[in-house]
Amino acid sequence: MLREGIAAHRRWIVASLVAIVLLALAPLWLAPFHVRVGQQFLLSAGLALAWTILGGFAGYWSFGHAAFIGLGAFSAALSMPALAGLPPLAAFLVALAIGCIACGVLAAAIAYPILRLRGIYFAIAMLGVSQVVAELNNNLDFLKGSMGVTLPAIVPRAIDPATWFYYAFLIATVLTLAIAFAVKTSRIGHGLVAIREDEDTARMLGVPTERYKIMMFVLSAMLAGLFGIIYAWSLGYITSGSVYRTDFSLNMIVYSLLGGIGTLIGPIIGALLMVVLTQVVLGQLLDIHMMLTGILLVALVLLAPRGLTGFVRERRRARRGEGAP
Amino acid sequence: MTGTILSLRNVSKHFRGLVAINDVSIDLAAGTISSLIGPNGAGKSTLFNLITGYLAPTTGTIHFGDLRIDRMPTQRIAALGIARAFQIAKPFPELSVLDNVRIGALFGKSGARDVARVTAEALDVTGLRELADRPALSLTVGYLRRLELARAIAARPELLLADEPCAGLNHTETDEIVAILRRVRAAGVTILLVEHDMTAVMAVSDQVFVLDAGTKIAEGSAETVKQDPRVIAAYLGDASEDAA
Repeated sequence: MLREGIAAHRRWIVASLVAIVLLALAPLWLAPFHVRVGQQFLLSAGLALAWTILGGFAGYWSFGHAAFIGLGAFSAALSMPALAGLPPLAAFLVALAIGCIACGVLAAAIAYPILRLRGIYFAIAMLGVSQVVAELNNNLDFLKGSMGVTLPAIVPRAIDPATWFYYAFLIATVLTLAIAFAVKTSRIGHGLVAIREDEDTARMLGVPTERYKIMMFVLSAMLAGLFGIIYAWSLGYITSGSVYRTDFSLNMIVYSLLGGIGTLIGPIIGALLMVVLTQVVLGQLLDIHMMLTGILLVALVLLAPRGLTGFVRERRRARRGEGAP
Repeated sequence: MTGTILSLRNVSKHFRGLVAINDVSIDLAAGTISSLIGPNGAGKSTLFNLITGYLAPTTGTIHFGDLRIDRMPTQRIAALGIARAFQIAKPFPELSVLDNVRIGALFGKSGARDVARVTAEALDVTGLRELADRPALSLTVGYLRRLELARAIAARPELLLADEPCAGLNHTETDEIVAILRRVRAAGVTILLVEHDMTAVMAVSDQVFVLDAGTKIAEGSAETVKQDPRVIAAYLGDASEDAA
C-alpha cells in the first residue's frame, strides 16, 4: 500500500522535498526575527499534523492535546538530573525518548475508556484530561510545575540557538509529515477515514476500529510530546503555564480546520497562513492584531467551511460542471 | 453444492419478555440463494443481527462452516467472510464510490491482497464503474443499493446477507439487482436475502424460509412455499379466524 501511495502522490512528494530543501536553506538568508517566525511555523505545522493523525483522519477531535505537550516537556525535563553523566546532546536525546514514551503511556492508559466517547464528548473529555494533567503538574511540588525547571543548554556555542532549534523543529515536522503520510496511504489510513465517516459501518466491514483508534491516539500523543520537548528546550526554562497552554490545543484544531481537515497539506497551509499573518503582517498593528486575527478566522470559516483545500477542490469540481444530480 | 455453509440450531432471541425469534433452525446450502420472507415484525432483521453478531442469541447456536460464531464480535465475523448489505444504504457519504468499495476490499476476507483488482471486479459486477469517481452522497437510491452490494462483494465474502435490496425500487431497478445477485451467486457466493418484493424472491431463490412472529412456519422451494396454507394465512390472515 505504501508503495502505491508513493506512486500515486509522486508530485506531492517532489513538491514536499523541494519545500523541505528551501526550508533547510532559509536560515542562511533570513533575518533573526524571521528565523523565529520560521520556528513558530514549523512548530505549529508539526503539532497540527500530529493532531491530524487522530483528529483529521479518524474524526476524533481532541481539545486537550496540550496535555501531551506539557507532559512530554516535563517528563523530559525532570529526567535530566538522572542523565547528568551523559554529554549534553546525548542526554537531551534520551530525555526526548523518555518524554515521548511518557506521552504514549498516558495515551494508552486512558485510550480505552476515552475513545468510547464520540464526537463532542471525546473533545470535552480530552479538555478535562488536559486540565487534570496540568493541575497535577502544577500542584504536586516534586513535579516542579509552579516553581519551574531550568533546562541545561545543549546548543554548541558556535551555533545561534534560534537557528539550531529551527532545524530541530524542521526535522521533527518532516518526521511527523512522513509518519502521517505513511498512515494516510496505508490500509490503516483507509480504515481511519471509514471510522470518521461512519464508525458502526466501518466495524461491520471488518475495520478493527478500537485497535486503530488506540494506536493513532498513542502515536498522535507521542508526536505532540516530541514537539513539546523541543519547544521546552527552545525556551530554556519552563513552568506548567508555559507548556500546558490551551491556545496550543486550540491552534492545532484551527490550523487543521483552516487548511482542510483530513488532508496533509491542510494543517501546513493553515499554520503558514496564520503564523505569517499574525506574526508578520499583523505584528505591526499590536493594539488590534488579536481582534483582526479573530475577524479573519470568522471570515475564513464562513467563506471556506471545508478549509482552503476543500474550497479549491469545490471550485475545481464546479468548473468541471460535476454538480450533484 | 458443497454442503452447509451456515447453520442455525434452535436459535431464540428474547428482548425482556418479548420473544423475537422462537426456536428457529435454518441450514443454508453453499452456493445457493435463499430468501427469508415473512410479514413485518416477523423477526427477519433480528435474525440478520444475530448472524452478523450485532445481537447474541438467548439460546441456540450459529455455525459458519465448522466455526461457532454466535458469541463473536461483529468485525471477527466480517473477517471470516460474512458480509451484509443494508436496506438503508450506509455509504461513507463524503467518499467516492471507488473509495467506498475499496474499504470493503481492504478489510474484508480478501485482506490487503489484490485490492485494486477486487475493487474493480466489484464495480463491474454492480455496473458502477462509470460512477467510480462520484461522491457516494450524489447517488440515487437505486445506485446506493448497488454500492451497498458492491462494497459487500468487495469483501470477498462466502456468505452475503442482503437486506431488502429491492425495497422501493422500480421494475427495471429490481431486475438489475436480481441480475447482480445471480452474478454474485455464479461467482460462488452464498446469498441470504430478506425481501418483500415477491417477484424478486420468486425469480432468484433456490430456497425460501418463511418467518411469522419469530417462528419458522415453512421452508422449501419458492413454488411449494407459495402454496403452503400456513404461509397464505400468515400473509393474508387466517380465513377461519376472520369468520370467528
